[in-house]
Amino acid sequence: MLQYQTPLLVASFALYLVAFLGYLIRRPEPGMVLLWPRVCLSLGFLSQSMCLAIRWLEAGYLPVTNLFSTQFFFSWSLVLVFLYFEYRYRIGSSGLFVVAVNLLLLGVALPRDPAIPVLIPNLDTPLFTLHIVFSFLGYALFTMAFSLGVLYLARQLGMQHLPELRQLRKLNEEAIFLGFCMFTLCMIAGCIWAYIAWGYYFSWNIKSLWSLIVWLFYAGMCHAKFIRRWQGTGYAVLSIAGFAVVLFTYLGIGLLLESNHPLD
Amino acid sequence: MSRNNSLFTETWQLLCSLKLAIVLASLITLLTIYGSLVIHGNPVLFGNLDQLSLRAWTRQLPAGTLAMTWWLAATGLLLLLFGLNTLCCFIDWASRIRVRWRKTGEYLIHLGFILIVVAFAWGSWAGVRNDSQRIFLQEKVPVPGMPGYELIVDAVEPVVNRQGRPLDMLNQVRLLRGDQLLAAEQVRINHPLSYQDLVVVPVSFGQEAQGFECFMPGFGQLQLIRGTRIDLDNGKILRVQGFYADATRGANGQVVRRSNQLQNPALLLDLSGPGIQPWRGWYFLRDQLPFQLVANGIRFWPVTPIFNTFTVLTINYDPGADLALAGGSLLLIGALLTLVSFYRKRRVNDRPEV
Repeated sequence: MLQYQTPLLVASFALYLVAFLGYLIRRPEPGMVLLWPRVCLSLGFLSQSMCLAIRWLEAGYLPVTNLFSTQFFFSWSLVLVFLYFEYRYRIGSSGLFVVAVNLLLLGVALPRDPAIPVLIPNLDTPLFTLHIVFSFLGYALFTMAFSLGVLYLARQLGMQHLPELRQLRKLNEEAIFLGFCMFTLCMIAGCIWAYIAWGYYFSWNIKSLWSLIVWLFYAGMCHAKFIRRWQGTGYAVLSIAGFAVVLFTYLGIGLLLESNHPLD
Repeated sequence: MSRNNSLFTETWQLLCSLKLAIVLASLITLLTIYGSLVIHGNPVLFGNLDQLSLRAWTRQLPAGTLAMTWWLAATGLLLLLFGLNTLCCFIDWASRIRVRWRKTGEYLIHLGFILIVVAFAWGSWAGVRNDSQRIFLQEKVPVPGMPGYELIVDAVEPVVNRQGRPLDMLNQVRLLRGDQLLAAEQVRINHPLSYQDLVVVPVSFGQEAQGFECFMPGFGQLQLIRGTRIDLDNGKILRVQGFYADATRGANGQVVRRSNQLQNPALLLDLSGPGIQPWRGWYFLRDQLPFQLVANGIRFWPVTPIFNTFTVLTINYDPGADLALAGGSLLLIGALLTLVSFYRKRRVNDRPEV
């Protein structure tokens, strides 16, 4: 079955690329549905989901343990989140940036070796799966919030074809809220897993510290929306800053520093 | 009286303040960012932070390290203040629960966070960590932090795949208090022994030479390990008092252990009996038998080392662990309730702007 993973992945990439170009070329009125980019994106997601299912079945565990597989899963989560917003709120080309980030992730992952690595015994637990799934859903929602934050600022600068500021703010707050809930679930699963695997639920390694930073940052953001001064522009700026923290936690630590969450 | 009331109200309002929460969360975030970089840049100083409780770790810090560790105390203090702020918010909400019950999910998250902060502070203060404790089979080891409790490992069985890659470590472990058996479990990866505030997880396993099997004319094969006694002819007694797998003789003539690897094994022997001068000394197995033994007609030759299996376990005692689990459970329930509440509000168009 693994022989199908590369064609499925290439098909996903191609479909995402077509969707991206579709959103880029055609700028519909806010609320109007651009059908064919949405269909391409959905088909791409279906293809990527099949690829994920094949890899999961073949490995016997959710294979998200090295750089290729984390990029692959991050990309999958990102499209899932985009489709959620697209089908619920018809955000259309407002999600262009998320699709671009997704293309970048998949584009970097594609030339890498898709071989499934051997599972470290400590990772062989459903808690690891929960930790990973909620973590990347959280990251994807924070990336969505980042994209919406950028669009909010762009709209303020006069890009009239974008959705209204009120709508962008509402979507941004929803992305932050959902991301925070997902990341909370990720932290709970991670803490319980760490306790049964290593005997303590909080480790002082840099990855755990930065995960705490991410959680605290977005917990603060969930509160900041109730303060008038931070609503709107401030919130958009915070969403962008938060994404930098997320990016460092996911990629920076794994690639640049030595940690217990290495990405090779 | 009214001035006192006003002061109390103002203090209470400050403690419940959302702005205070944001300021504290921001300061903790910034300090943690700074601290994470300090930790990463000073592995010698911070490398054993996970191996010890925070209290024990601070006690073993060398003098003159305040410049690198001040942020830990500052973060801890701010975290406790943040916990207090969150607690006040929770009490404030609970006192008006009749009209604010729809925020139950959010405030369960608050309560869960408070419990985790308290649990972490408690565990850091009163907990004991014993990372990588080597235990030989059948050896009784006292449990750190729990006086009177002992652990015994009855069996160790490594599980490897066809390529020889380790998959698991099965440790049959008993927890005793005096002669009373409290728990007996197979401890393996992701399946610790948990008893009250104690958690025992496997780290690794190995073998270490405990002595040597030797051939002695007239006695055949003998196992010479610490505690062995051989009754020789004419009432002479040869005792094994010690064994080093890798020993060396220092400049002052004293024999010291160099490592646990089987490199230069040595037996500490004791010869006594009627009519002979008692003798005690080291026999380096790579050298010739000591003259005192030969002079008394004792001859033996080392044949093969005797290995004993040991397991390496992490034995941690954390009195705050159950409270942390309760906090985690509240966080989980709170997060799920908040999600349900969010979609319900959206469905009925209740406060659509939030």
